[in-house]
Amino acid sequence: MNKKKIYTLWFLIPSTIIFSIFFLIPLVSSLFYSLTVWDFKSFTFVGLDNFKMFFSERSLSTSVIHTLIYAFLTCALKVILAFFIAIFLTSKIKTKNFLRSVVFFPNLVSTIAVGITFAALMHPTKGLFNLVLSTLGAGRIDFLGNTSLALFSVIFTDVWKGVGVATVIYVSGIQSIDKTYYEAASIDGANGWERLKNITIPLVRPAMNSVIILSLIGGLRSFDLIWAMTGGGPGFATDVVSSVVYKQYAAGFYGLSTAGNVIMFVLIAVIAYPLQRFLLKREES
Amino acid sequence: MVNVSKVTMDYATELKGVITMPQIGWVLDSDERNAVQKQYQLQIATEPSFAETVFDSGEVESNQSQHVIAPVELQSLTRYYVRVKAALTSDSTSTWSDTASFVSGLCQNEWEAEFVSADSDADAENSKGTYVRKGFTLTGKVKEAYISCSALGLYELYLNAVIDLAKEKLGITVEVEQRVGGADGDNIVKTRLASGDMADICLYNSGSLLNALNPSEYFYDLTNESFVSTYDDTYKETVTVDGKVYGVPVASTQAGAILYYKPDYEELGLKVPTTWDEFLANCDALKAAGKTAMIGTFADSWTAQVPYLGDNYNIIAADPSFAKNFEAGTAKYATTPAGVESFQKMVDLNQYYNEDYLAATYDDGCDMLANGEGTHWIMLTQALGNIYSLYGEDVDKIGVFGVPGDDAANAGLTVWMPSSLYVNKNAENMDAVLAFMELYTSTEGLDAYAGVIKADGPYCIKGYELPDDAYEAVKTDMQAYFDEGKTTTALEFMTSVKGANCPAICQEAGSGQTTAEEAAAAYDEDCKKQAVQLGLNWE
Repeated sequence: MNKKKIYTLWFLIPSTIIFSIFFLIPLVSSLFYSLTVWDFKSFTFVGLDNFKMFFSERSLSTSVIHTLIYAFLTCALKVILAFFIAIFLTSKIKTKNFLRSVVFFPNLVSTIAVGITFAALMHPTKGLFNLVLSTLGAGRIDFLGNTSLALFSVIFTDVWKGVGVATVIYVSGIQSIDKTYYEAASIDGANGWERLKNITIPLVRPAMNSVIILSLIGGLRSFDLIWAMTGGGPGFATDVVSSVVYKQYAAGFYGLSTAGNVIMFVLIAVIAYPLQRFLLKREES
Repeated sequence: MVNVSKVTMDYATELKGVITMPQIGWVLDSDERNAVQKQYQLQIATEPSFAETVFDSGEVESNQSQHVIAPVELQSLTRYYVRVKAALTSDSTSTWSDTASFVSGLCQNEWEAEFVSADSDADAENSKGTYVRKGFTLTGKVKEAYISCSALGLYELYLNAVIDLAKEKLGITVEVEQRVGGADGDNIVKTRLASGDMADICLYNSGSLLNALNPSEYFYDLTNESFVSTYDDTYKETVTVDGKVYGVPVASTQAGAILYYKPDYEELGLKVPTTWDEFLANCDALKAAGKTAMIGTFADSWTAQVPYLGDNYNIIAADPSFAKNFEAGTAKYATTPAGVESFQKMVDLNQYYNEDYLAATYDDGCDMLANGEGTHWIMLTQALGNIYSLYGEDVDKIGVFGVPGDDAANAGLTVWMPSSLYVNKNAENMDAVLAFMELYTSTEGLDAYAGVIKADGPYCIKGYELPDDAYEAVKTDMQAYFDEGKTTTALEFMTSVKGANCPAICQEAGSGQTTAEEAAAAYDEDCKKQAVQLGLNWE
């Protein structure tokens, strides 16, 4: 076989330059600076001290756990809720287009605005949620003040806001399923549940995989909603890695915050890459 | 009975800078039923006596009381007075309303001023944020004066009381350059000092930051000036480096202390506590009476740390060398009894807070305290200024006492010192500068300053009595601590080590998530990060 190269490798130069300047160099330099104490002008090499500090100090190490809870829970809820909403929205209902818009609307609002609004709705005495609860005779719930509840209140808000995108992905997946499968199944006497289990779920898997990966990575690096709603508080009860990184940076601990970024990078890579492999393999088989 | 109340001009009760006659409106107050206006009379004059009017409608038969148009050609920069009287269909007639007034702007296009602008277009382009400035001096005694100003961009206009006084008394004209705050401003000061380009007087922080500036190299030693002897001792320490005094206090002090609603104390017959146990007893009494004993405003997390910061008096009282050893890394909060106690106080208070203390903000706190919805608030006394601007004279219902410790005989106040003015060692006009400093710290200078900005705390000058219109809490409560010498500065004036997570750690302790020991240990750990960044050798 005499396969000739059609294009010269020089064509790679522009994109390589851009990729190096904006991705490779920052990546390598942040790996380096995470091992130092620096203030933009000068640095001292401290080895792995920053990482040790990150995992030994309670206020920092809990953030890793919170990040994992946050990412997996938002991901799971979005995957499940969005699937059923999508099933509902692809069935034969009136006002289908209107309902689809309604589901997608929360996603169009700025995350910060959503955060501020929900923080107000969840206010322990003046918030709408608690006014409704107390009118119904139930006790008040301190959604954002109760430390064991605060993280879940933010997760709830994140799901409310993010479920729209997941639904849209599912809807497109479901609509691309050939109608003839359903016809054939009906003729064979399959009921609704059997059609769902044996046709819809297997064939919507590519869409489901996208939803899983996207919402998991989104959850792992989530920052804006948490910052707007609780600022990581009360105390450190809702601190995630990215909010810790931000706080350390604002305090002038650049080395430590860079180490936090490296940890976040590793965390996302370690979780997302094998998961992607696994999901793709399952899709192919 | 009928009254004309609330005369408005273009819907506003006060109006400045209008160039055409505003529309007049008013509100009728009457205790009669079915009251309808039958006639009105509107007068406009340029002096409040209305001896001569520029417009008098005479008695007009009309039920109109809004959008009343008076055919008046306005003169530029003049104050016009407006009053109205009205009669009802029932023939009851009102007296003249309270006089309202407005000030006209430049009505005839006689704008003669020039824009104050950068020297050249290039200058304006080169600078990140161009700041152009024009100073002027008022001559003669002013009863009332109007300034018309306009700008391409933002502008700020101010009259500087002490500087005007200097001009009048000493014939010195002081030019002010404004610098930005924060880290950028810090760099500007350091760079200009290092390059020998500093103005004669420089405004900078007092305390540990001054130490870091190496003052003996740049600033004139004021130790032997007569006015230094009038300094409050606590303040003097913050501007003293190696036994030499460098600074002049630029404003009043403020304190981190317990603000309390005095009517609640009177109602329950409570006394100002001198120990922490007495304070908790007061809180219990208030709680038993169904009141909110403590105001918590943790939604603004910085407010959660004030109980700890304001407790520094007690820590230093227990161990005067704590700050020095803390900076050296040998003293820790977790191993100092008074240090742990400081965090214990936050834990103690948890049960007394308002229900929504985690969601309430600093602004909510001001409202709650001023309305007596909560009795105690541990806060910086700058809150008095906020409350004054919202609630006026009600601010005098609020008293202040320091965060109590264990020793009733030694109850004191933790104080934040003002920034200071420093004299350039190589000042061009040394005599004038020193005379200005002397004036600045004299009773006359302080009066001029206090006349413009109400003090959030006593001044750092011994024997100076605050003017009568100062806040009650400042004039009596806080001044007493100063007179007895029972004040200590906040820790940030003694060492530059302050943990960045302090607000969150205090929030945890204050909301009962951690014990005092855990919080103190966490804070020590947090401070270590700062020490590493500052290059201090801990351990």
